[in-house]
Order: sequence, then C-alpha cells, then structure tokens
Amino acid sequence: MADKKFIDFYKKNLEETKRKIKASVTDDLLIVQIINNIDDLNKIINILAKDLREWYSYYNPEFSKEIQDHARFVELILSGKDKKIKQSMGAELSKEDLKPIFNLAKKIKDVFEFRDEQEICLEKMMKKVMPNATAVAGSVIGARLLQHAGSLKRLIMLPSSTVQLLGAEKALFRHIKSGSKCPKYGVLHEHPLIMKANRKDHGKIARALADKISIAARVDYFKGKFIGDELIKGLEERFG
Amino acid sequence: MIKKSKIFEVYETQLGRRNILLTKNLVKGVSVYGERLFNQDGEEYREWVSNKSKLAAAILKGCPNTGIRKDDVVLYLGAASGTTASHVSDIVGENGFVFALDFAPRVVRDLVFVCEKRKNMAPLLEDANNPESYKDKISKEVDIVYQDVAQKNQAQIFLKNCDMFLKKEGYALLALKARSVDVSAKPSVIFKKVREEISKKLIIIDERKLEPFEMDHCMFVCKKK
Ligand SMILES: C[S@@+](CC[C@H](N)C(=O)[O-])C[C@H]1O[C@@H](n2cnc3c(N)ncnc32)[C@H](O)[C@@H]1O
Repeated sequence: MADKKFIDFYKKNLEETKRKIKASVTDDLLIVQIINNIDDLNKIINILAKDLREWYSYYNPEFSKEIQDHARFVELILSGKDKKIKQSMGAELSKEDLKPIFNLAKKIKDVFEFRDEQEICLEKMMKKVMPNATAVAGSVIGARLLQHAGSLKRLIMLPSSTVQLLGAEKALFRHIKSGSKCPKYGVLHEHPLIMKANRKDHGKIARALADKISIAARVDYFKGKFIGDELIKGLEERFG
Repeated sequence: MIKKSKIFEVYETQLGRRNILLTKNLVKGVSVYGERLFNQDGEEYREWVSNKSKLAAAILKGCPNTGIRKDDVVLYLGAASGTTASHVSDIVGENGFVFALDFAPRVVRDLVFVCEKRKNMAPLLEDANNPESYKDKISKEVDIVYQDVAQKNQAQIFLKNCDMFLKKEGYALLALKARSVDVSAKPSVIFKKVREEISKKLIIIDERKLEPFEMDHCMFVCKKK
C-alpha cells in the first residue's frame, strides 16, 4: 500500500470493529435465537408428522384420522396402542415395511422432546433477563415480542400501541394500504387473558396488556426491582 | 470477450443475451458473495451482479459516470456485508481505500471477513447519523461519499457526511429507496423532494431510476461545489 496512513486506519478500525462486535452480543439476542430455533423445530415437527401420516395411512388410515394431535399420534404408535379396526382399508404391511415408519415416529418424538427442552432453556433465560415482562406476558410471548422488535432496547423504545400489534405487521400493512380491518393484536393473541375473554373485549385487553408489558420491559431493561406480580395481578382483577 | 466499459475500471462482457459487468479481482481466487469469477489473459475478473448491487444497476441503466476512479479514497455508508463495497474496493485498487461503515453488528460480522482479505477496505461499526463519532477514524477528506442506508432521513445523513468529509469537487452517490423515506407516498414525489433538498448543497449530475433491478429506487450522482 502506498500510504502508511491507510495501514494504520486499516489495523485500528479492524481491531476496534471486532471488539465492538464482541461487545454487541447480549442475552436478549440469545433469547431471539432460542425462539427462532423453537419456531423451526415446530416447522420440522409438522413436516415430519405429515410425512408420517401419509406413510402410516397406507397401513392404518382410520387411526391416523381419529388421532388428530401429532404428539399423541406419535406416542400411541410408539407404545403399540395403534390397533387396527377389523374392516380397515389399510393394507397389511410386513414388519420390514413398518420398520422405517416406526423409526420415523421415534425421531419425531425426539424432536418433540428436544423442542420442550429448548422451551425450558427459554423460560430460564427469560426469567433471568426479563423477569417482569415474563411475569406479565409469559416466556414464549415475551420472547416473540423480542423477536419482532429485534432487541430489548428496541422493544422498550416502541410505543405500547406498537407492542400491541407486534406480529400483526402484515395485517396492519393491509389495513394501511387497502383499508381492511385494523388488527387488534399480534403475538398477544396467545395470551391466556385474551384466549379466555369474550371476543368483544379482546381489543381492550390487548391494549391494557401491551401497556403493562411495555412498563415491565422498561423495568427489566433498566434492571429495576420486581413488580411483575403486581402488574399481572392488576390485569387479572380487571379482566380475569 | 471481456472488455473495458465506459466506466473507469469497470469491465463488461456478453453472457448469452445479457450484458454483465465485472471488476478486476483484487484478491485472486476469492468470490465475496457467490459471484462468478472469470479469467482472461492472466487477469481475474468478478461478475458484478446487477440485482444485488444498486451501483451496478445504475451503470447498466446507462449512468455515464460514477466519479469513482483508481486510487480514490471512498467513504461508504451502509456497507452491509460488503457486496457493493467489495467492487468499489476493486475499482479503487490497492492504492485507494474504502472506509466501509454500517451500524448493524450482524452484517458487519460478515464485512469483517471481507475486509480481512482486502487490505484496502476497513470496517467501521458506526452510525452514519453521528459523523463526529468516526471523524478521527477515517481520512480528513475523501474523494467519494457513497451512501445506501435505507433510512427515513437519508438525505440529511448524506449532506451531513458530504459536508464534513467530501473534498471540493469530489463525487457523492446516493442510492435512494423511496419506501424507506415514506411507505405510502408516491416514489416520484419523494425523488423530487430529495432532489430539491440535496441540490441546495450539491450539483446533481445524474439521476437514474433502477427499475427493473430495484423497484422505487433512484441513484443520484452529485458533485461538491
Ligand atoms: C440496503 S443495505 C446496503 C446494501 C449495500 N450497500 C450493498 O449494496 O451491498 C442498507 C444498510 O444500511 C445500514 N444502515 C442503515 N442506517 C444506517 C445508519 N444510520 N448508519 C450506518 N448504517 C446504516 C443497514 O444496517 C444496512 O446494512
């Protein structure tokens, strides 16, 4: 290189940038990775369970039809409780033909268990990093909010009206573009308070929830004291 | 046959029915983002993929002069993982230099790997809104400011950086994404607003829409008075 100055700039900037990247790794980013992984595991489970049902249904279609829940379906096959009815339209398959089907069911069970383990890790991390938000939103919903905001810092900078709609970006965009109905909530729809309530109260509850989650997340970000139980109790008294 | 294009240090060749751009590879044998490498007469060239780089798109759309030359010092704002910046690094060559800046750690991680191989390009994890915070980490004056940050206030960021770092009669390129300024307004309205804003400080010498490579994007090539 012609200019000595550039060599200096090159070295210093490269070094400093590496240092800053190292420092940018925070617990909230690890949480986002866990929830991304859980989402992918769920997708994998669905893909494999569909394969299993297609395959298995050559042998025992009535049973696959009867047991809709994937986890239970897999469990019953593995424990040999998948009895065929007398007039089944399924073919008689040899032991050898059934073996790879059974193996697939075993692997799906493994993925289910692995996902559950990851959820336990998630819950631990959430309780440590965002105890207040976790008390109000639950660990999965709390993590999903982080996932959509990108980081805890970004989450606490959002107005609570935006927090209420995180995860409903597509519906919101449709609403702005073409005047379809404005969504009332995104990832909050899985919250027990909303799931239990009447439809007409959903908007109101989602707003109150988002308010409290915003407060809780800010306390978490600034490492304040634990007020999560008071926050959720207030909500339960109003809407529970 | 690979031959010189009308743009300094940029080459072109016919591939099937398409005309593609290339730059001379500063780091032999290394492809940065999956682009193809070509050899001719002992020289290695990297394909400059036009739908991954707004600068390549602008050139293919007929931009007559980007202003970027061999040996130039470039401040590149919004370098991401270094796709376009690596071609700029090819263009300025081993005696030029590229300060490649981005504020997102995730993409700068990949940028670091690119810079480690290219001794004429340094990464900076900085916010282009705060030139004060990196003014001591780059040259006092640069020949070129290139900006592609997809931010609401991108015109303002652009002017601030040109004001602080661009030399007199230096070139400044702005890749403008209409939708990041305002999702619902018409692109042509936004282009007009930005044109008015930057022409108060800079002379606009070329303005080019990037369709079909990028929708609702425009490249402004400007010169400092
Ligand atoms: C469209 S991408 C750039 C692509 C790149 N120029 C290329 O062609 O290879 C925009 C980048 O700008 C960065 N960015 C946005 N705002 C910024 C700011 N204020 N300071 C620095 N970088 C910013 C983003 O992190 C993102 O990586």
